[in-house]
Amino acid sequence: MTNLVEIRVPDVGNVAEIDVVEVLIQAGDIIALEQTVATLETDKASMDLPSSASGTIQQVHIKPGDKVSEGTLIATVLATEDGKSIPDPTSTSTVAVVAETPIIEQKSEPTKILAQSTPSPKQPLPAIQTSETTTIKAHASPSVRLFARELGVNVSKINTGSGRKGRILKDDVKNFVKQALTEGTTAGGAGIPSIPAVDFSPFGDTEILKLSKIKRLTGQNLTRVWLNLPLVTYHEEADITEMEAFRNTLNGEKAKGEVKITGLMFIIKALVAAMQQFPNFNASLSADGESLILKKYFNIGIAVDTPNGLVVPVLRNVNNKSINELAIELAEKSEKARLGKLLPNDMQGGCMTISSLGGIGGTAFTPIVNAPEVAILGVTRAKMQPVWNGKEFVPRLMLPLDLTYDHRVIDGAEGARFMATVRQYLVDIRRLLL
Amino acid sequence: MTETVLNAEVLVLGGGPGGYSAAFRAADLGKQVVLIERFPVLGGVCLNVGCIPSKALLHAAQIIHEADEFADHGVSFGKPNIDINKIKSWKESITKSLNDGLAGLVKQRKVTLIQGTGKFTSANTVTVETNEGIKTVHFDQAIIAAGSRPTKIPVFPHEDPRLWDSTDALQLTEIPKKLLIVGGGIIGLEMATVYHAMGSEISVVELMDQIIPGCDKDLVTPLARRIKKQYKNIWLETKVNSIEALKEGLKVSFEGKNAPESELFDAVLVAVGRKPNGLLIDAELAGIHVNEQGFISVDKQQRTNVNHIFAIGDIVGNPMLAHKAVHEGKIAAEVIAGHKAQFDALTIPSVAYTDPEIAWMGLTENQAKQQGIEYDKAVFPWVASGRSLCLGRKEGLTKILCDKETGKLLGAGIVGTNAGELISEAVLALEMGADAEDISLTIHPHPTLAETFGFAAEMITGTITDLYIKK
Repeated sequence: MTNLVEIRVPDVGNVAEIDVVEVLIQAGDIIALEQTVATLETDKASMDLPSSASGTIQQVHIKPGDKVSEGTLIATVLATEDGKSIPDPTSTSTVAVVAETPIIEQKSEPTKILAQSTPSPKQPLPAIQTSETTTIKAHASPSVRLFARELGVNVSKINTGSGRKGRILKDDVKNFVKQALTEGTTAGGAGIPSIPAVDFSPFGDTEILKLSKIKRLTGQNLTRVWLNLPLVTYHEEADITEMEAFRNTLNGEKAKGEVKITGLMFIIKALVAAMQQFPNFNASLSADGESLILKKYFNIGIAVDTPNGLVVPVLRNVNNKSINELAIELAEKSEKARLGKLLPNDMQGGCMTISSLGGIGGTAFTPIVNAPEVAILGVTRAKMQPVWNGKEFVPRLMLPLDLTYDHRVIDGAEGARFMATVRQYLVDIRRLLL
Repeated sequence: MTETVLNAEVLVLGGGPGGYSAAFRAADLGKQVVLIERFPVLGGVCLNVGCIPSKALLHAAQIIHEADEFADHGVSFGKPNIDINKIKSWKESITKSLNDGLAGLVKQRKVTLIQGTGKFTSANTVTVETNEGIKTVHFDQAIIAAGSRPTKIPVFPHEDPRLWDSTDALQLTEIPKKLLIVGGGIIGLEMATVYHAMGSEISVVELMDQIIPGCDKDLVTPLARRIKKQYKNIWLETKVNSIEALKEGLKVSFEGKNAPESELFDAVLVAVGRKPNGLLIDAELAGIHVNEQGFISVDKQQRTNVNHIFAIGDIVGNPMLAHKAVHEGKIAAEVIAGHKAQFDALTIPSVAYTDPEIAWMGLTENQAKQQGIEYDKAVFPWVASGRSLCLGRKEGLTKILCDKETGKLLGAGIVGTNAGELISEAVLALEMGADAEDISLTIHPHPTLAETFGFAAEMITGTITDLYIKK
């Protein structure tokens, strides 16, 4: 049995536009189930799209640079076995195009009336071009089309109008422009001077390296946060000598191949325990800045360094998971992140983020809040230090912690108290049981 | 003879509907405008020797026909007494009143009007031969609206006063006993309507296989049926081979499938199309490309290949219609004033002011078929329209085409009394993206001819009650 099946973009979370970075198949290729057919990249991650069927590729419907979303047809496959894909009857539709104005021979022109014909009477006349074929597809009245033109908007790019039957209204055009403005700017808001371009050639050779999409979008997001949020960073130290001793004991008991527990797991737990005591840290400011949205769930984002840029997979419901479970989950997600296989919904829904540079070094830094979250915890490398215990200096393993918070939501004293609480949990992790 | 030099922020060459609209719009947008028109009055072909005078004569024709046809229904006036001089002066009074109106608008807007024939001498100058001598206008930007003229066929004896073009026919100097109309398009058939009413025996010769080529055949059929009875002959797929000026008349010989023997006519009207005036204005001296037919190509903003010179109306392409020219003229003026205007209309409606009138817009059925567009069609017959029957007419039709999938209006055609007035609703519906449901849910007053448009939409949505359509 052979039949024609379609490979479509699966549900990848609430993402409207996904860039096609690479297409790995072409017509005539024989592919297996789960074989990668294309590489897609969202603003947060890139991912390999597996084939939902096996067989011979009949036609490839995408090319690098295309934007796709859930349900977009990727390829048609002449399936050899029970290909799972179900043909979609709405795949192609004929869209009427009336764009070409009827070229009306207002005055009939039987020029051939002549025995000696006039020069080339049937040469095509320059017909006036009315509208692009796209215009007619957009459900918008002439005044809205004019308004869009004035603002430089191609109405056919506005997917849905808010009027009756999806009619595009002036407000839809305005919103489209607003959205384009917030998404499109790379640096600098209104009135902020941009960094002038510099010709580096007098100083030596240069090479242009295009930023990855993740890096570009991360940059936009960070700039936006930097400009919008009044950020304060507070530094703290925790004595984790006991915690490390306990962790080493635990890991010593683990069999070979079992996921080892890292210090980060305790930090995650300590953070969530503190968030439960300080609900303002598990919150977002409403867009109008008038109210605080308090969250009743505890999801922690972990910044992961990957070859393509920084990504932040989210561990969900941390308060209900054991340290062992969290260790396994984070190991999996980090691996996925490094392979570029994180799905958008793996990175959504965080409440607070931890950025740990502990594996590298450092003494302190000032992380930038991952808005709309209100705080971020930075961690650098723990160091054995002489600590005065009242009588003498004793060697203690000290962990530097940096908390950056949105000062519109968190007061300085509140921040200090929060960090004191986090420190307390780390110093004596038995308190996590209380 | 003196030579005068003027400056213009915007120069408009040609004072027809497109030209004066462009000039007025530019003036309203704050530009200092010089308008050049070769005739002593504004309004161009449309107002002086086209749309307006022909409609005056067509109204006279309609009165004659209606009065005659109503004899059967109980009101007789007897044979009409036609005073062509009086009709002529009535017609002229209409154009004069509109000419005067335009002259007033020129003054109110402080547009400088120069009467004379203007030609380009460079990319920034036009010289005008006027009665007071040569005037040179330096312009920053220009709009060419120099229009078109009737196509002449070189071998015909054009010097003979019995060989007419549309301008001659509108002069109404005499009512020929036998009139041949060469060209079964809109202009030819409108003049046929007029002269038939005035008493001429009409013959029409058309090269194509239907009158009003380009219009869907079903819309033309009611007109074709009616004039077949009224006129002596309608020869389709036939061409005129030669016209010989004899003392007793113009001897015309024909060629083609249905060609008759050569025949004598008292007058022959040649209405075989119009020719753009692009080659008469020395456009090449301004660097503007004009093709060999005389058309000037423009972009959607009406801009020619020369950045600061625009062109609009008949001279940029078919259809050669005043309402197209006016729309384009305003666009050109707005673009010059820095607006982001462009030609974005979805359709340019067409109207034949014949009896019955034919009007259509959007996609024709022929085009839909050619382009492979799937459509739903509805044709509402006016024999079911009370209003039409009360007017003593039952041949009308209202046809609409809607997208098979979305129901969106694609095109419409109407044949019948006042079709030209009725088509506007369809044009608005198309521009607004209305579908059959929108149209059928719109309350149309009853009894009107306009409601036939609503009925046609109801035929598509399946909600019509004024007809019974078996499922």
